[in-house]
Amino acid sequence: MKRFFQKLTVGIVLRVVHAALVELQRQDSRVAREFANMPEGLSYSIHTGHNGPTLHVVWQGGKLRRVRSLDKASCTLHIKSMALAFRLFTGQMGLAQAYAAHAFTMAGEVADVMRLARLVNIVEAYLFPNFINRRIMTDIPKPEVCFLRTYARIGLGFLTCKYRFSK
Amino acid sequence: MSYFEFQNAVKLLCGELSLERIANELQHLHAERPLVLSDAVLAKIGTMAAVTDAMVAEGVKPAATFTDIPVDSSLAVVNKIAAFYREQGCDSIVAIGGGSVIDTAKGVRLVLSQDTDDIFSISGLENVSRGKHIPFVVVPTTAGTGSECTGVAVIRNDENGVKMEFLSPFVEPDVAVIDPRMTVGLPPKATASTGMDALCHAVEACTCLQANPLSTAYGTAAIRMIAENLVQATVKGSDKEARFNMALASTMAGIAFSNSMVGAVHAIGHALGGVCHVPHAVAMTILLPHVMRYNLSHAAAGYAALLPWLVGMEKAMSTPAEKQAEAAIDAIETLGRKLNEVCGLPLTLSAAGVSKDDFPKVAEFAVNDGALIVNPRAATEEQVLEILNAAF
Repeated sequence: MKRFFQKLTVGIVLRVVHAALVELQRQDSRVAREFANMPEGLSYSIHTGHNGPTLHVVWQGGKLRRVRSLDKASCTLHIKSMALAFRLFTGQMGLAQAYAAHAFTMAGEVADVMRLARLVNIVEAYLFPNFINRRIMTDIPKPEVCFLRTYARIGLGFLTCKYRFSK
Repeated sequence: MSYFEFQNAVKLLCGELSLERIANELQHLHAERPLVLSDAVLAKIGTMAAVTDAMVAEGVKPAATFTDIPVDSSLAVVNKIAAFYREQGCDSIVAIGGGSVIDTAKGVRLVLSQDTDDIFSISGLENVSRGKHIPFVVVPTTAGTGSECTGVAVIRNDENGVKMEFLSPFVEPDVAVIDPRMTVGLPPKATASTGMDALCHAVEACTCLQANPLSTAYGTAAIRMIAENLVQATVKGSDKEARFNMALASTMAGIAFSNSMVGAVHAIGHALGGVCHVPHAVAMTILLPHVMRYNLSHAAAGYAALLPWLVGMEKAMSTPAEKQAEAAIDAIETLGRKLNEVCGLPLTLSAAGVSKDDFPKVAEFAVNDGALIVNPRAATEEQVLEILNAAF
């Protein structure tokens, strides 16, 4: 039951992280700049634990597209257990802390993970309250727009099926 | 920190007549046809021959040698050597040299053990399994990189100039040979800069986000030995005790950072090496105090804890608690100035021949370096530029 709850939560948060990245591309200049510098076709796969939820995204045509699967992503992160993934995606552990705790393995270029880490830090600054962010980040990026606006756009995006799989 | 990992599986042969034991170690590893890797300078001055002669005398003849390893080795060189190893029918590797030679050898071993032709295809972080065992012995000829005991290889990607990190516990050598004869001939400036590189490893290992009690034990012990021996080893290169202590300090600092990573000094240093070709140890020397000042707001307690190891317990205890972190940075700056006086070690980026025009590219590369993720304070490109300008 516990593992089912963790898998469900991680699956939902992965979807929300993707949605937040899509929305913040237009709302936050730092996210926009990261995407502008991203090479066309760069792809990420995130795997969690054994048979846990996954997220596969590709940067294509100026959009971060979610896809069902990738044969070989430019950068594949595998979080070593569901318990660690749950901590990471519920604000109990930051990405730097996860790295320090050997919580994931990575295949690909380190530079691509650093790019993702900067993006995730900004996303967390919007999605989590500051008392959580202070615990998981050494420096919290200042949100450029009100977090409520981001949440509202994400909610609207889910209602209109904006973040469904791309072909 | 609630969780940490620690590994050091390297057998260390330390002290007198260590070289003469390499053959025996190779035999124990079932190695009969070693490929010897070194660089042209070490081949020319006879350092490589000192090792191979000792091996031959004890019954192990190198099957082949490769000495065309540049200062900033590349992925292409690694792939080329792996192909050469296969052509020559070798069964093991003996690497003799500084960081570049040893890291290149680690890359070659990774390619061979993973049965691939291209090291780029296996780049990543703890992403490869053990693979085929290739017996691997290293003989460091500098006292600084600590590479003989680390689970990381830093190799340049010539396509974009980025220094790539290959992190895996399986790149650690089987045996490392710490023989003072290998560093006695090192020129004063190289002795000083590589010693400061070791100090940088130890300081960053003790204060980064991945620091743990075991890595800190190695790191602080290394700092004390460096503080006590580096100037002497630089001024009087023939002092075998100082040389040996520096070699041990370098190894301990290597064990420390291999188990806790480094930080922004290395992230920016790798970028300076990749973009401006600043020698790694020189970049570390210049950047260390500037990055420490940048980190001070986030790592004051960590730096303060290093003061007794840098200046001795008595002096540290007489320093007010609130000034101990700054005093630690001052002590490192003082050490740098002393080394500058005795051997002309550059202390600024301008003295190292860096152009400010390259700073934007350096900053861009630095924020993409993996070492930055565990730095006690996050850094953006703009903040890296501030550090670079302060160090100019």
